[in-house]
Amino acid sequence: MSTETITQTATVFGDEVPQPKQYGKPGGIMRRLNMGTALIGGIGLAAIAGFVANALVPAGASTITFAPVAPDIVYLAILVGWTIGFSAGIGAFVGPIRWLFGRDLTHADAEYMAGKDLGVKRYFKFTTDHKVVGVQYLVVFAFILGFGGLLAMLIRTELGVTWSEVFSPAFYNSMIGTHGIAMIIAMIISVMGPIANFIMPIMIGARDMAFPRLNALSLWLVVVAALCLVSTLFTGGIQDGWSVYQPLASQGPPAMLGYQMTIIVFAISTGVASVNLMVTALTMRAKGMTWSRTPIFVYGIFGAALMGLYAFPFFQYSQIMALTDRIWNTSFFNPLQGGSVWLYENLFWLLGHPEVYVIIIPGTVVLFELMPVFMRKPLFSFNFAVAGIVGVVALSGLVWAHHMYMTGWAPAANYPFMLSTEMISIPVGFLVLVVIGTMWRGLVWTRLPIMAVYAVIFNKMIGGVTGIYLSDVPVDQYMHGTMFVVAHFHYMLMGAGLFGAMAGLAFYFPKMTGRVLDERTASIGFWTAFTGFQITFMAMFVAGLQGMPRRVLQFDSLFNAPNWISTIGAYIIGLGMLIFAGAVVSSWISGDKAPSNPFGSKSLEWQTPTPVPLENFAVLPVVTEKPYNYGVPDPYEKELQEVDQDLHPEEVGTR
Amino acid sequence: MTTMDTRPTGPPDEPEEPTNRPPSMHRVRNWLKRPYAKGIVGLTILLGILLLPVAWLILIPMQATGAPASEIMEGIEQTVFVFTLVSVPIVAFVYAVLVYSLLKWRKYKGDQIPKDESPAIRTNTVGVVLWTAMSSVLAFFLVVWGLIELAQITSNSYGTISADQQPGDEQSVIVNVTGQQWVWTFEYPQHDGVTTEVLYLPKDRPVYFNVTSKDVIHNFWLVELGVKIDANPGAITQTGVTPNKLGSFNLRCAELCGMHHAYMETSVEVVEGETFESVMREMGGGRTA
Repeated sequence: MSTETITQTATVFGDEVPQPKQYGKPGGIMRRLNMGTALIGGIGLAAIAGFVANALVPAGASTITFAPVAPDIVYLAILVGWTIGFSAGIGAFVGPIRWLFGRDLTHADAEYMAGKDLGVKRYFKFTTDHKVVGVQYLVVFAFILGFGGLLAMLIRTELGVTWSEVFSPAFYNSMIGTHGIAMIIAMIISVMGPIANFIMPIMIGARDMAFPRLNALSLWLVVVAALCLVSTLFTGGIQDGWSVYQPLASQGPPAMLGYQMTIIVFAISTGVASVNLMVTALTMRAKGMTWSRTPIFVYGIFGAALMGLYAFPFFQYSQIMALTDRIWNTSFFNPLQGGSVWLYENLFWLLGHPEVYVIIIPGTVVLFELMPVFMRKPLFSFNFAVAGIVGVVALSGLVWAHHMYMTGWAPAANYPFMLSTEMISIPVGFLVLVVIGTMWRGLVWTRLPIMAVYAVIFNKMIGGVTGIYLSDVPVDQYMHGTMFVVAHFHYMLMGAGLFGAMAGLAFYFPKMTGRVLDERTASIGFWTAFTGFQITFMAMFVAGLQGMPRRVLQFDSLFNAPNWISTIGAYIIGLGMLIFAGAVVSSWISGDKAPSNPFGSKSLEWQTPTPVPLENFAVLPVVTEKPYNYGVPDPYEKELQEVDQDLHPEEVGTR
Repeated sequence: MTTMDTRPTGPPDEPEEPTNRPPSMHRVRNWLKRPYAKGIVGLTILLGILLLPVAWLILIPMQATGAPASEIMEGIEQTVFVFTLVSVPIVAFVYAVLVYSLLKWRKYKGDQIPKDESPAIRTNTVGVVLWTAMSSVLAFFLVVWGLIELAQITSNSYGTISADQQPGDEQSVIVNVTGQQWVWTFEYPQHDGVTTEVLYLPKDRPVYFNVTSKDVIHNFWLVELGVKIDANPGAITQTGVTPNKLGSFNLRCAELCGMHHAYMETSVEVVEGETFESVMREMGGGRTA
């Protein structure tokens, strides 16, 4: 850049920084763009694309299977139009276009985009401040979770009413598929979205994420994907489970395109968010924050992001291939034309299993982060916690075919996949050891977050042990495709994942919202949900052991009793979740103002004022000690040394 | 007054023969004297005893409809039983720590940040090594057990024999299974290609299944016989079983296959060998092979 353009400077934290030319007011066109323009852009472009596609498709055209062509083409055009229109309307393309014109952001532009002085409006814009993105993620997570939860209630209603069909089979199947994928998306963003975005940069002493605009992009792409998913309910529904196995999916209504678009967009969002989180963790840590001084949460988020980064493309490609199979008559997965159903299953589960750890690892490390605070002692064996995360990440990509033991794809491969799957119990065991060790002799300050840890570990043991059954091929030969599997993964993803995320939310609530959480009401909600959870899924284990297949809407009267119990439990979960949500919302609106460090934590994120100012730190912190520096010297240890001293004075020094 | 463990008040016990015992043993003895150690060990044993019946309880629903009806299913139930037994000590220990912590280490309530701190245990070599060794040994045991059992059921279900090598002798029965939305069809090629919609199997004779599908993926699951394999379009998968119990059992589709997946079930009739032949003859299939 030639020197003449640098005509002005801005003062950034006391330094004079040369600035590029300022075009118009700070923020430029971003001043006019918000969620309203995004919705107008999305719906408008979707409508235009739909009309154009409808006009271009020859009237009465049909595919080789005599299905009409128009609905698929028009729906795909609408989805693409919605995605591009919404992204343009929110301002996702403004950055690259400015860049093409050579218009660099000035400091004033960047501050506007970070939401300076915008008040509540900043939550409805393409705001780059990581704290705003974190709160936006929390709201989006809550909406998707509520949507999935509502479907879960309807599914359990159908299964509880054993004497007749409440819903049509087609609608029931769509509820199952939509519940599945909605909950998977919700759980993936449960900790990685709100807590990692809001807390991690402050925790490592950074002023923002490494790529703030990509951060905003990842959030708004989740919104785009979520609405693509909702649209499937009006175009026939995802009737094939969340795994949408081929060739069943190719028979499906146009809604399958909605699923494929959801995944394609969500995978971009995850990829962008993963890179952002990883680069932030690698490069943005404060001075003095060596790897041994980095909080374990950062390791966990880094590991989860790494898994997401390599696993999601498999899923995305599988859906792109399924989309071309459907629209352009390629035949990747169509056995009648030389495709392979096993190819789809492999691609799907190459994501499908790592994704489980993408959910579980952040849900676990957030517990590691809060346990030392409420136990007033250091994290037990930091090295083992890191080793556990590394082990899980390393093995996560080597176990996918345990979902395919019974497919007949490669019976001989069952041996190595059983080996790798059972091996993963060792690093997971490390993570349990860290929890047990941190709990060991720790005086408990009984606040909601720490009490939730007990619930999570209780569930995780049940989920883990049933996982060992399922990892074993002979047992899986009975359990595969039954309600036992459903109960198992709910124990992991909900019992450990969601309850862990709720613990994390309760812990970081004062920092994120500036309000004190009404822990009394929230605890009532939490433990109601926990009780309902045990009832629902214990009964479901029994139904599975009796031989009830999953994804059915009518069944043998043998399974009636466990399903009735399960449905009652599900309503209790729903009630508990509503109470919890009510406590969160009412505290957020009208709770007491929170002090900056209500739990007496020693981590960096709690040393900032509440609400956290824009850019977090006026002066960047320097880290001088290990994390979790709580506790007093162990009285027993001293005594043991005295005993040894008395016995073997000559050996004590060598130990 | 705290509920925290207080240090033993008495003097450290006097060893009788201090020079003959390694100090590490004294560390163990000393450790076991601590109140929380006693408490957790005791709770582990108590919870272990309470959890032990699960190993038997878990088999009750599995056997609700007459399982096991084959050696494969017997192997599956045995594996479930053994895995439960092996898991009980670990679960009992972890739950014992949770329960003990809730009972004895719960101390502060309310909004006030506690003044007292807990002992700063950053690691414990003995504990970590023990845990790693135990979990590795258990994982190793489960893997070895699983591999042996898998080899066993693979041979019991004739999983290594391809379709063209299936014996066509008097004793064995070949069934070609076809799934389609939403019915199962069973063809008996050795009996003039008789087709049925109920699966008839002879007791104590090896049965070979060649499973395929006409449209989407189904899953051929003989519940009480412990046989399960996907029916894939465009591919034939092999499995088999030797039923060892007479009776009427369940066959369900265990892979979502569209709208009426829930209704894609039929029954499996395991009958005596002679009855089987006469059923086949009634349907018009003399034995040709």
